[in-house]
Amino acid sequence: MAAIEAHGLEREFKGGLKAVAGIDLAVEPGEVYGFLGPNGAGKTTTVRMLVTLLRPTGGSARVAGFDVAREPAAVRRRIGVALQEAALDNLMTGRELVELQATLHGFAPAKVAGRAAELIERVGLSEAQERRVGTYSGGMRRRLDLAMALIHEPEVLFLDEPTTGLDPTSRFTLWDEVRRLKGEGTTVFLTTQYLEEADQLADRVAIISAGKLVAEDTPAALKADIGHPHLNLTLAHGDYADAARTVVTEFGPLRDPDGEAHVAVELSQGATGIAGVVRALDEAGLVVEALELVEPTLDDVFLAKTGKHLEGADAPVEEAV
Amino acid sequence: MREPRVVWALMRRALNEILRVPGAAIPGVLAPTIFMIGLSGVFGAAAKLRGFPIADDFRTFIIPVGLLQGAGFTGAATGVNLARDIEQGWFDRLLMAPVGRSALLAGTVLSASLRCLLPATALLIVGFALGARWPGLLGLALAIVLISALAAVAACWAVMLALRFRTQQAASLMQIGTFVAVLFTTAYAPKRLLTPWLRDVSELNPVTHVLEGVRQGFIGSVTWGKTWPAFAALLGLTVVFGGFALRSLTRVGR
Amino acid sequence: MRRATLALARRSLRNTLRRPQFLAPLVAFPTLFLAVNTGGLSRTTDLPGFPQVHGFFDFQLAAAITQSLLLGGVASGIAVALDIEGGFFDRLVAAPVPRLALVAGRVLATGVLALGQVAWFLALGLIFGAHIEGGVPGALVVFAIGAVAGTGFGAIGVALALRARSASTVQGIFPLVFVILFLSSAFFPRELLSQPAKAVADYNPLSYIAEGLRDPIVSTVSAGPVLYGLLAAAALTVAMAWLAVLALRGRLAND
Repeated sequence: MAAIEAHGLEREFKGGLKAVAGIDLAVEPGEVYGFLGPNGAGKTTTVRMLVTLLRPTGGSARVAGFDVAREPAAVRRRIGVALQEAALDNLMTGRELVELQATLHGFAPAKVAGRAAELIERVGLSEAQERRVGTYSGGMRRRLDLAMALIHEPEVLFLDEPTTGLDPTSRFTLWDEVRRLKGEGTTVFLTTQYLEEADQLADRVAIISAGKLVAEDTPAALKADIGHPHLNLTLAHGDYADAARTVVTEFGPLRDPDGEAHVAVELSQGATGIAGVVRALDEAGLVVEALELVEPTLDDVFLAKTGKHLEGADAPVEEAV
Repeated sequence: MREPRVVWALMRRALNEILRVPGAAIPGVLAPTIFMIGLSGVFGAAAKLRGFPIADDFRTFIIPVGLLQGAGFTGAATGVNLARDIEQGWFDRLLMAPVGRSALLAGTVLSASLRCLLPATALLIVGFALGARWPGLLGLALAIVLISALAAVAACWAVMLALRFRTQQAASLMQIGTFVAVLFTTAYAPKRLLTPWLRDVSELNPVTHVLEGVRQGFIGSVTWGKTWPAFAALLGLTVVFGGFALRSLTRVGR
Repeated sequence: MRRATLALARRSLRNTLRRPQFLAPLVAFPTLFLAVNTGGLSRTTDLPGFPQVHGFFDFQLAAAITQSLLLGGVASGIAVALDIEGGFFDRLVAAPVPRLALVAGRVLATGVLALGQVAWFLALGLIFGAHIEGGVPGALVVFAIGAVAGTGFGAIGVALALRARSASTVQGIFPLVFVILFLSSAFFPRELLSQPAKAVADYNPLSYIAEGLRDPIVSTVSAGPVLYGLLAAAALTVAMAWLAVLALRGRLAND
C-alpha cells in the first residue's frame, strides 16, 4: 500500500484557472520523495491538498491509507506537516507551542510536558524554549515548526520548501534530520526549488510545471537523461577547432559551439572526463586557451522537460541559526 | 474523550494573549466604561422624562448596555484574532490537528465568554463608584451569565467573518455587527419613549430580550417574565450563529 | 510648492477612494450612531431648556458630521503611518519637495474628503425629513465649516502619525475620539449637559465647531455660532498644521 497516492488530482480556482491539473503519483512507505518546480507551478497547492487543508476539485488522493477528502481526520492523525511559512503563534513560547500541539494530538496531560521536551531537545531549541517565538530567527522558527510536525511520530511527513532562505549550516542540519527520519521508516514528501537538495535526499524526484507532472525518476536518471556536464573549450587558434573536434568526440557528443575557435563537448562520463579530454588534446598538440566546465542545472532539466526556464532557482543565503 | 481538554487548551491560549499584550486589550476593556460615562454625561437629562424606570437615573439605566457592549467588543476581538491567526498561518496548524471542528470552534469562541468579564468588571466598578444602583446578587449573577453567552454568540459572528474574509481588515465589519445588535434595542430609553421605527426594530431584535434580562436587577427586581425570554433569545442566537460558524469552519478549504 | 501639494493631495485622495473598506466606517459608524441616538432620545426635545428645533434628528446631524470628520482625521493619520511603516514616506522625503508640501498634501485631501462626508449627512438628513432652516446659504456654510474642520482634523492625524510612527498606535487613538466628542456639546445642548461634561464642553473647540455646523440646519444662519465655528475650525487647523510641521522637522532631524 502506497504511503501517498494521487489519481488525477486537480484543483481549480474560480475563473477556471487550474493550479493543479491532474496529477498521478505514488510514494512508497519509507521513501523520500522530492517534488520540484518553480514558483507558481502548483507545488504548494498539491501539498495543501494532500495535508487536508484544501479540497481537491477533481481526482482523489490517499495518504497513509485514508482518503484526504472523505477521511481527513484519520489522515491528520498520521501526518506531520511543516509548511513554507512556519505556522506559529508569535506570542507564545516555544515550549508552550509544542505542548499545545501535543495536547491537540491527544497526548494525556501527564505525558505532554515530557513529549514536548523530547522534541525540543531533538531540534536543538532547549535553550530558547522559554522565549517567545516572535523573537526567534527564521531558522529557529523552522526548527520549532519541525518539532511540532513530529510530535506524534507521523507515518508521513510533508516538508514544503524547508530550507529556502536558510544558511548552509542549517540546511545541512535539516538534511541530516531527514536522513534520520528516513532511517526510522518515515515517508517524507519534500518540495524544493533546489536540485542539490533533491539530489542529496530524494530517492525519487518529480517535476511539476503548470500544474502537471512532467517527469518522475531518480535524481541520477533525471540528470543523465537531460545531459551530462559539458566542457566549453577555447582554442588558441581557430584552425585547431576541427582537429580538436575530432579528438574530443570520443568523450561524448559534440554540442553546438559559439564561435570558430570554440568547441563544446558533452562528457558522457561526467566531470571526471575533463582529465581525459585535456590529455588527448595535449597529445594532439592542440593548445587550449580556456576551459569551462558546465554542470546540468535544474534549468537544463526544466528547459528540456517544459521548454521554459526555471526562475529564481538560486538560494539566497540568509539566516544564521 | 479528549475534546474537553482540547477546548480548554485553546481557551487558555486565547486568554494568554491578554497577559502577553496587555496594551492591546486596554482600549477594549475601557471602551464600555468610557462610553457609559460619556453617554450619561451628555444625555443624562433624558432620564428626567416620564417613563424612565428610575427617575433621573440615566446611568443605572445604561450600565447594562455597557455590559452588552463589552460582550460585543470581546466577541469581535475574538474574530479579529482569528483573522490574524489565519493571516500568519497558525490557523493552518489548528486545521491540521486531529481535532473535531466543533471542538476547534468551542475553544475559540468560549474564550470570549471569559474575556468579556474584564470590561464588565471595569464598567461595574466605575459605575457603582459613580452611584449606580446595586442589582442584588441574583441580578448580578444573571447579568454575568447572560453577557457571557452573548459574548460567545458575538464571537461566532466574528469567526464567520474571519473565515469568509481571511483578513484583519474585516475587523470593522465585525464591530459594526455587534454595535448594531446592542444599540438597536431599548438601549437608551424604555420602549414607550422610542420613535416608532426603533420601537419596531427593538421588538424584532432578540438582543433586546437579553438586554432586558440583564437590566432587570439594576432597575427593579428579577422576574421570571423578563428572564426566560432572555435565555430563549440566547438559545436561538447560539443555534443560528453557532451553526453558521461551524458550517463555515467545516467548509474551509473547499 | 503648490504643484507638489496638489500632486500629493491627489495621490492621497486617489488611494483613499481606492480602498472603500476603509472609507465606509467613516460614515457608517456615525450614521448608525445617528440612527440610534435619534431613535432612542427624540423625546428629549420635550425637556425644558431644549432649544426650539424641527426635530431631534435635525439637531443630531451636526454631531454625526463632526464625528465623521474626526474619524476622517484618524484615517488620514493611519494612512500616513502606513506610508511611514511601508517606506514610501522616505521616498517622498528624498524627493525635491518642500517639507510643508508633505503635510499639506494629506491635509488638503482630508479637507476635500470632508466635503463628501458633509454631503452624505446633509443628503441623509433631507431624505429622512430634516429641514435645513438656513436654506442653500446655510448648506454652503455647513460645507465651509466642515471643510475647514476636516482639514484641521487631518492635521491632527498627520501630526499624530509623524510622532507615533506606527499605524496601530494611531488606531488606538480611536476611542479617544469618542471621549473628546462626548465632552462637548455636539450631541446635546450645552445648557442641558451634566456638570463635569458641561465645564469641559465650554472650552472644547469641538463644541463650537459642532454648534457652527448645527446652526444653519436648525435655525437661520446666525452670525454668532457660525463665526465661532469657523474661528474654532480655523484656529484648530493652524495650530495642528504647525504641530504637524514641527513633528515632521523633528522626525527628519532625528533620522
